[in-house]
Amino acid sequence: MNKFLASVLLAVSLVFATFGNITYGQAVAKGTRTAASVSSPLPLTLPLKEGSVRFAVIGDTGSGTPEQRQVADMMVRYRGVYPFDFVLMMGDNLYGGESAKDFQTKFSDVYRQLLDNNVKFYASLGNHDLPIQVNYEYFNMNGKEYYRFKKGNIAFYALNSTYMDKKQVQWIEDELAKDTSDWKIAFFHHPPYSSASKHGSDKQLREVLEPIFVKYGVNVVLTGHDHVYERIKPQKGIYYFVSGAGGKLRSGDVKNSSPLTEKAFDRDMHFMLWEAAGNELYFQAISRTGETVDSGVIVNQKKK
Amino acid sequence: MKNREQLISAATIVLTLTSLAVTASGSALLTASSQQAVEQLKPPPVSSADKRTLVAFENRMKSYVKLRNALKAKLPKLSKDSTPEQIESYRKTFEERMRAARMGAKNGDLFRAGVASYIRKTLRTEFQGKDRAELRDVIFDEETTGIPLRVNYTYPEKKEFAEMPATLLAKLPQVAKELRYRFVGKNLLLVDRDNNLIIDYMVDALP
Repeated sequence: MNKFLASVLLAVSLVFATFGNITYGQAVAKGTRTAASVSSPLPLTLPLKEGSVRFAVIGDTGSGTPEQRQVADMMVRYRGVYPFDFVLMMGDNLYGGESAKDFQTKFSDVYRQLLDNNVKFYASLGNHDLPIQVNYEYFNMNGKEYYRFKKGNIAFYALNSTYMDKKQVQWIEDELAKDTSDWKIAFFHHPPYSSASKHGSDKQLREVLEPIFVKYGVNVVLTGHDHVYERIKPQKGIYYFVSGAGGKLRSGDVKNSSPLTEKAFDRDMHFMLWEAAGNELYFQAISRTGETVDSGVIVNQKKK
Repeated sequence: MKNREQLISAATIVLTLTSLAVTASGSALLTASSQQAVEQLKPPPVSSADKRTLVAFENRMKSYVKLRNALKAKLPKLSKDSTPEQIESYRKTFEERMRAARMGAKNGDLFRAGVASYIRKTLRTEFQGKDRAELRDVIFDEETTGIPLRVNYTYPEKKEFAEMPATLLAKLPQVAKELRYRFVGKNLLLVDRDNNLIIDYMVDALP
């Protein structure tokens, strides 16, 4: 067996299992479509393991609408039972203008409770975002349109998919080539795979990024752009998610018969919660009203 | 909890085998696919005449960048953890000073006939291949109607940007890191990354 094949076999051996109605900790789940009223306990499918890495995911948020705020409020409520430390943003952080007031009404006011509790946001740029956002204090981009950071055993790669020039592609390859993290998660705006009617799969982007992701063992790719939730069937060993309805919704946009879809939700806005514990990476997608619309775990065989 | 472990364990056994089989069979293709991606990002070969055209274009960009960086150096530095007020003030001041400094700038100052012809030829070639439809899908996916083509005016901040496909960017003349190509319909713009000013544009750059 050649060295390359051996490394691929080791690196990209992931297993996926959904658990439907299995519950953990404080969870009061009765399936994957349990809604939470203001007074009821919140359904949680994440294990809350000691020392785990906990984060949330939001995409296409910057509308400044009451619905965006309702998603944010639900995130705050969930943080009461699932104390996540940081949030990944899939881009389109500010729609329709970028004045100082826009930063306030479409971001800092909306997520004030999280910001005040030291929850860090890590942004990527969407097609509605000016590159100068990289300097915004709360986006933690450190002046860069694409960047890497590490939390526990996970390396996160924030990319700028609107302007994927050669320099960025080279940077991704160079960084991944030397990355020995157990988990590698890339997040950016345009989805290489999507079953939504409005935009759908970005095949151009996929052609360039996917071979690199496969070669260097990226485990999970998180994206937005389409204003829906979708978990894609694993593609070449990689788990792709579309989480683009944190502030805008395109109701009914997911094509019913798409062969790509493992699970989709396009009736309401949503956010995601993630937990990495050892060789397991758990996720839960939650609607604006507190309904758990999807959940599961990805097992990293490399670490077993 | 025991049931949960049994469920995961069973799924793991079955799906591990599937996963390994897929990975193993896909690995031969992987090398070819990775190689293909690299090839797509190679710039096209250029003739010596084209080389001269591209060097001249690069020099015009350098002159622009020299001017904008000199103006930028006089602005209060924008830190990596700026407030929204600082960002807005910086962007607007930069924009105003740049516009004043380039008061007489006009269409074709950077995209002169030679390089415009080279870019059109390159784009025409790229749009003849099998990926033509996909390229069009990407470029025309965003709503960019109503964006005025005016040199030394800002790209409207309320308007979205069309995605620039990596394969196309690799074929176009390389631009300085301070500048960006942007498509607006079939037109190609050159825009300043930080102040969002339209530096120049080419009408009907796409076939």
